[in-house]
Amino acid sequence: MSATLAVLRKDLRLAWRDRSGWLSATAFAAISVLIYSFAFDLAAQPVRPLLPGVLWTTFLFAGIFAGAHSFQREAEQGTFDAMLLSPAPATAIYLGKALSHMLALLVIEVALLLLATILFSTALLTPDLALIVLVGTVGYVSLTTLLSTLGSRARARAVLLPALALPLLVPLLIAAVRATGASLGDPVGTAPWTLLLLVFGIWSSAGAALLFPLVVER
Amino acid sequence: MSAPAIETRGLTKRYGTLDVVRDVTIAVGPGSKTALTGANGAGKTTLLGMLATLIVPSAGEATVAGHPVQPPAPALRRRIGVLAHLPMVYEELSPWENLAFFARLYAVEGAAARAEELLRRVGLWARRHEPTHVFSRGQHQRLALARALLHAPDILLLDEPETGLDPEGVAVLDELVLRAPGLTVIAATHRLDHVASWSDGTVHLDRGQVVEDATRGSASGARAAATAGGAGEAQ
Repeated sequence: MSATLAVLRKDLRLAWRDRSGWLSATAFAAISVLIYSFAFDLAAQPVRPLLPGVLWTTFLFAGIFAGAHSFQREAEQGTFDAMLLSPAPATAIYLGKALSHMLALLVIEVALLLLATILFSTALLTPDLALIVLVGTVGYVSLTTLLSTLGSRARARAVLLPALALPLLVPLLIAAVRATGASLGDPVGTAPWTLLLLVFGIWSSAGAALLFPLVVER
Repeated sequence: MSAPAIETRGLTKRYGTLDVVRDVTIAVGPGSKTALTGANGAGKTTLLGMLATLIVPSAGEATVAGHPVQPPAPALRRRIGVLAHLPMVYEELSPWENLAFFARLYAVEGAAARAEELLRRVGLWARRHEPTHVFSRGQHQRLALARALLHAPDILLLDEPETGLDPEGVAVLDELVLRAPGLTVIAATHRLDHVASWSDGTVHLDRGQVVEDATRGSASGARAAATAGGAGEAQ
């Protein structure tokens, strides 16, 4: 627990000091939503079902930008190995990194929801949607943290993370988009999408925490 | 005779079909200082990586401080300090923040006092709150030395530790590690002019294999030590 908190605190401090990764992710997210708002009148009924897809596509790529930057920096400075050399369990290190990534991504997502609320004249900061975004982000971050670690050790790290992450994230994205649509009142059938999202979140968090010690082996 | 602090038997690391380290068998006594020499690509860094528990051997076995290196036990990692080719410190953090972070990972007792002691000894106390990215390569190396010693390890694995250090920095390295009594040290180095001043044994690698072993734990090393001891007594 102490190691997890130490890694979390350190990563948040690093994210604050070297804001380039998170700022570029936020800028990307804001520009994407702005362009969508110009392209479509998403508040209008015929294109309204696109809104969940717009939100989650933006979350997805903003997270990939920011996460890859953080892990690349650790790999280049050799600090990831320095953490692994310590007696702290690899799982504790993983949890610290995943939590810091999640907190930073949640900040971007809340900012994005605020912006989208204004641009699309649709109330997006509702408790239902906040829960869906939170659960979806847990599943997303747990998986991408694992894959970022794997990718940071590869020469083709810039392409490896999206190539690995996107196929594995398909179930999460489908559930997240559908659950978001349901929370906005769109007809998305009767499937319990939020529950599916929760199951994916638990599965990916547990799986990633168990696999992390194997992924960091060389 | 006490058990070796570091012992390997047939240690091998293979990447694809290439044996980067092949069938390395060495024994290093407690408190000894061993130079690991060899040309670039001889396998020194990979051998140190396996001893440091970071790289999983393809074959053979190794024990450090009586613990097998795989699977790595926390008790073993507490006893090893590593100074690698990269300084392994966070550029965006100050020296003080770097040491505070690693002290938490190692659960170092009296961390603040220990960090102060080390930063003073490596000459970075006055700059402890400056971001590390403004430091020179030698100052990074001094901070890396403090990080490696933070948890008071008794076994040090060093990869070209003199990198970037000025003569004063090399003197600090000598005092804190290379000539420190009781510490077991294996250091990969190209500074052959410096080796004779601190090492009591040498392992020379060529294309992943040991071609010369004159460590205190080896047969040739033992003969060398006996000869040296005999010569000393005769004097």
